[in-house]
Amino acid sequence: MAKLSLMFENKLVKEVPIGNRPITIGRAPDNDLPVDNLAVSNHHARVYYEGGRLVVEDLDSLNGTFVNDLRVERATLHDGDAIWIGKHHIKVDAIADAAIPWDSGRKAAPAPKINETMVLDTKARRDMLQQAAAMGERTQFSPTRMKMPTLVVLSGAVGQSEYLLTNKLTVIGKSPMATVRLRGWFKPQVAAQINQRDDGYYLGTGAKIPSVNGAPIQGPVRLNDGDLIEVCGIRMNFVFRE
Amino acid sequence: MQIVSGGVSDVGRVRTNNEDAFRIVEPQNLFILSDGMGGEAHGEVASAMAVETIAKFCNDQQESKEDSRVTLHGAVLDSWSAQTKKLQNAVFQANFAIYKAAQEHPEQHGMGATLTAGWINGSKLSLAHVGDSRAYLLRSGGLQQLTSDHSLVAEQVRRGIITPQQAEESEMQSVLLRALGAHAEVDVDMEEVHLIPRDLLLFCSDGLTRMVTEPEIAGVLQSETDPGSAAKKLVDLANERGGMDNITVVVARIQEESKGWFSWLRRDSGKKE
Repeated sequence: MAKLSLMFENKLVKEVPIGNRPITIGRAPDNDLPVDNLAVSNHHARVYYEGGRLVVEDLDSLNGTFVNDLRVERATLHDGDAIWIGKHHIKVDAIADAAIPWDSGRKAAPAPKINETMVLDTKARRDMLQQAAAMGERTQFSPTRMKMPTLVVLSGAVGQSEYLLTNKLTVIGKSPMATVRLRGWFKPQVAAQINQRDDGYYLGTGAKIPSVNGAPIQGPVRLNDGDLIEVCGIRMNFVFRE
Repeated sequence: MQIVSGGVSDVGRVRTNNEDAFRIVEPQNLFILSDGMGGEAHGEVASAMAVETIAKFCNDQQESKEDSRVTLHGAVLDSWSAQTKKLQNAVFQANFAIYKAAQEHPEQHGMGATLTAGWINGSKLSLAHVGDSRAYLLRSGGLQQLTSDHSLVAEQVRRGIITPQQAEESEMQSVLLRALGAHAEVDVDMEEVHLIPRDLLLFCSDGLTRMVTEPEIAGVLQSETDPGSAAKKLVDLANERGGMDNITVVVARIQEESKGWFSWLRRDSGKKE
């Protein structure tokens, strides 16, 4: 089921599923998504289905409703859109609700069981890709504004001053295949490694236990923009570069 | 490099047929794993075709006829080794073979397969991947996933729409965005990874990763030195947890180089790993 997630500074405040009834947003407590902020009108906006499409409508609010960067009175919502109201934003998750016409692989068979593996058929896939492309134009997925994970060397003996993380696995060590190549007699082949996962970049141990922002890691740690990594006398900043 | 390996495929506790397939081509250090889909017995057909075709096209000795209708899709990097390019081509061939069979035989319509294959030459691992089977590297005690799942939920995680925890609980886990045989063309994820002695590679179908957590997998791989027994233990563990799907596990261990006297002398002089 599609849902709206009210966020404040990347923290989830409240989540509501979107059903047949409109979802109301505003400062008054009788709203489905109450937003406690003086910049928000009592009954600020609402979100509902109209002709199979998800729509947001501004209710003549004082400070306006924004979808991504645009101020709107009424707008069709797509999966991944963000509705901005004051300093809060509402993430739109419509994908879970999109009717996905998959190919069950069986003719005249009963409805496909969800535990059976299936591939989205051409149309659903195309829609999904188009949606992704549309998202790319509006958000950080745009190629020109793509954020590249980068290690910026602050101190220590290594070959380069910056390393762009382009592989699934980035090795820090003396090994000839290491991306960040350490020099020195007693440096380990693999001191630490960074693994790209679905939800981000994780620093893991090698022969050494690296530290992040001064604390030695216990198992793989997800790196955040600006984190300080120290291992084998090398100090680096992990940053996302535009 | 010396490599020891072993693999196990099991039907699990719920399914009646095993749609997974794997192949270890030992002289070439080629590892292929595929999880088939499609009703009746067609998933088995698709995964078997995937494994067969890739093994055939990666074999130098055997003349294999390429289908001229196969179109290359996606990037080919100049920096890739000849082996990586060859593996990529083999996956294109397998994709088209399955697609063609599904088109020609209406009852096989909708069949498809995942594919995760690794080919080790010297210290270089060439990796090809489509779908939601996985390849992992266990190095220095840390388990690193070398592949990205081409599933709807994984894509949602990458876009920040849902969290990894929500993905694990989702009912949509079985919905794939890419598979062999679904279309005439396929995007294949190719990756090259340099291996070092004592590295351990794991190839597995989702029947393992949905039942057993990554820390548990790492634990088994570290405690069991024989690759075949490690694969068996992982399959047993997935079955103990319910064995909801077919489970296939292939484990390959890169051996420590034999350290003879004066071996350090030879290290940098024309050594063929």
